[in-house]
Amino acid sequence: MIEAISRRIGGTLVTAILATGVVFLLIRAVPGDAIGEMLGQSAGDPAAEAALRAFFGLDQPIWSQYLSWAGNVLRGDLGTSMRQGLPVWGIILDAFLVTLQLGLVTLLVAIVVGVPLGLLAGARPGSLVDLLVEGFTLLSLSSPVFWTGMVLLILADAWLGWSPPLVYTPPGISLAENLESTLLPVLALGFLQAGAYAQFTRQQSVALLRQDFVRAARARGLPARVIFGRHVLRNIAVPLVTYAGLILVQILGGVVVVETLFAIPGLGRTLLAAIQGRDYPVLQGALLLTVIVALLVNLVIDLAYALIDPRMRGA
Amino acid sequence: MRRPGPQLLIGAGLVLILVAMSILPGLFAGSPDAVVVTRRLEAPSAEFWFGTDETGRDVYARVVHGAGSTLGVVAAAVAVAGLLGGGLGALAGFAGRLPDRALSRAADALLAFPPIILGVVLASTLGPGARNLILALAIIYVPVFFRVARAAALMEAGRAYVEAARTIGFGEWAVLTRHVARNVAPVVVQQCIILFPLALQIQAALGFLGLGVPPPTPDWGASLQESRNYLTVAPWLAIFPGIALLLAAAATSLLGRALEDRDA
Repeated sequence: MIEAISRRIGGTLVTAILATGVVFLLIRAVPGDAIGEMLGQSAGDPAAEAALRAFFGLDQPIWSQYLSWAGNVLRGDLGTSMRQGLPVWGIILDAFLVTLQLGLVTLLVAIVVGVPLGLLAGARPGSLVDLLVEGFTLLSLSSPVFWTGMVLLILADAWLGWSPPLVYTPPGISLAENLESTLLPVLALGFLQAGAYAQFTRQQSVALLRQDFVRAARARGLPARVIFGRHVLRNIAVPLVTYAGLILVQILGGVVVVETLFAIPGLGRTLLAAIQGRDYPVLQGALLLTVIVALLVNLVIDLAYALIDPRMRGA
Repeated sequence: MRRPGPQLLIGAGLVLILVAMSILPGLFAGSPDAVVVTRRLEAPSAEFWFGTDETGRDVYARVVHGAGSTLGVVAAAVAVAGLLGGGLGALAGFAGRLPDRALSRAADALLAFPPIILGVVLASTLGPGARNLILALAIIYVPVFFRVARAAALMEAGRAYVEAARTIGFGEWAVLTRHVARNVAPVVVQQCIILFPLALQIQAALGFLGLGVPPPTPDWGASLQESRNYLTVAPWLAIFPGIALLLAAAATSLLGRALEDRDA
């Protein structure tokens, strides 16, 4: 058990190191860097350019840049933003908390809407309810999430004459204003993820209804409600809880476009701005954080399965 | 198992219409670039079914002509990813040992990124243009195909026919390309259909972020980006390209679901 877990953690670490290496190579291949723009008036002055490059360590070979960055990261130092001159850690932590709030509220919406729909559909495959829920999942999973956001903006304006403030307010300053600025993005993301949750819940319960122990319960003459409540729901609980982790990772990745549409200063928008501004340290830090969160969630899901289901321990 | 009938019919019908639109847009609408300066931002009417945009272009024509560039990019990307990822996956699953471990690690490293973020990084790295966009989308999905094909090849490698082929003197390469690959291919093709709607979402998002094909090529995601400044004045600019994306994604997921149901 402990050996399996440590092997799994080791594998995750190797993957994280590889992934950051990939990122490092990739973003240095992006044409152009921040240097030219920073120089402004003195652009074209080779001495000034060389000095700035040396200042940011960009004159070093890539492998040595990577090693010194990785060394600093292990010591907890993510570097300084080339654009803002602030520590990267502070910048991405602020942004991450904004995105995390968005993600958690969206997850709540997705569970509250998606799970009941999926259970209703899964209890009676092929029924009218099932068909309606399938229509809902098809619609929600097929709509581009930023388009859903645009439609919400249009509808809010046409029906209520209301449009959200395009300035984000942190919940610590004013909870009401925070809710106002995050309402539509949460609804847009929630519409998508509720569909995903409903589909997953339905699949799980339909698969369970086919199992032998359900057939045995039916043969014993148990009513459908008891079978569903006692046999299906109990077995479905674990995958439904772990699915929350996967959905959260999906939301954290998918917010890039929604944050851009609604001008929310989260991790996605920070990442995009860092790419456009060629702010390597911020970009590396933000990507590292994204990858680590995704890998950690996957690791926790696997470990949770191992704890709950002894059959998974060897895997 | 549920009857796949209506799902498959609706999905296939919509896909056929979209394919026809992509190949022969001239049959469905006039030029997407024709400008009528006096008729800017007009609401949908009998003359302009989907209204006109800020320069006086016909939105309907732009949506129809956008099918080819939008769906063509996605189809090409999925095909490239399927060939590359499927090939490498079959190789890794069949060969095992070191090549398998190295390739699997590389696939894991790529899969650690949320697809849209990988897409943003790749599209910025490669620069604008349809060919680079195809490449960026393809790289995102190579590891997914790799995993699917690897699992299938791993299963095939243990089958009796593989041993039989070896016994009668086929080399390893021949067993892989002639026998194993043939049985892995259908899985990869099915995966192409399943991944198409997902890749379409990424393509649209990249277009929306301004990282897709450059204007004036009509592209659904890019049209949505252009519509942002006119959301409340001219909502039709945002509604119709979005519905086109929705229908294309729904049609292909219906096909994918029908295929999955058939297997179940």
